[in-house]
Amino acid sequence: MRDRPSGFFNPWFHLALNILCVLAYELLLKAGATATADLSKNWSWTGITGLASPLIWLAILFIILDLMIWLYVLKYIPLSIAFPLSRVVDVLVPISCWLILKEGISPLRWFGIALVIIGLAIVVRPAARLEERL
Amino acid sequence: MTLWSLVLILVWLVTFVAGQLFFKRAMELSSAAAFRNRKVIFILGAGLLSMTISFFLNLGLLQRFDLSYLYPFQGLSVIIISLMAAVILKEKLTMKLTIGSLLITVGVVLVSLS
Repeated sequence: MRDRPSGFFNPWFHLALNILCVLAYELLLKAGATATADLSKNWSWTGITGLASPLIWLAILFIILDLMIWLYVLKYIPLSIAFPLSRVVDVLVPISCWLILKEGISPLRWFGIALVIIGLAIVVRPAARLEERL
Repeated sequence: MTLWSLVLILVWLVTFVAGQLFFKRAMELSSAAAFRNRKVIFILGAGLLSMTISFFLNLGLLQRFDLSYLYPFQGLSVIIISLMAAVILKEKLTMKLTIGSLLITVGVVLVSLS
């Protein structure tokens, strides 16, 4: 592990940016894929028909941006720490739907969200130790 | 779900996991050597190819299934990637990291099932 840059180039800050990008492109991809689902039955399994939707192209822009950010994160943080932490996006989606769109969340889903948060808290500890060593 | 869909989902998972491992390996090497090193570019290219295949398969799957149906499989990638990072990249996988990754995996699966 080499010297970690601070400020804007802090890899943990970039991990947060990565999460926001993933949130944006997941939603764009789903919207774009749904809009183009019936274009061609023969080719739809490859996903290539999705390119007919401008939403998919916007999503691709976000993916490219996200890829550059993610590669930067991987330069400094071990994959086995960075990847589990990046999945915080999986609880951000239902929670933001609940807060903004007033969608309901079932008890089982709350339980899942709680498990993810506990898991994240456990993964964050080795991450914090990693930080101390730097 | 047909057998064909299951195969597509599996290939999507495998290409996704492989892509992440290639990326990490490339960035590790790029820290050690010059960035224009041919080996780094080769591994980075392998990662990009793997991710591109995974991307289009994901799109194809999204056209057929709900995001909430595909998410549990994506959730599995957490524990698979942690294990593979330990086995292939020799990252130190502590007990805490393993338990944390497992909880995240189960949590993501539950979030998408309900």
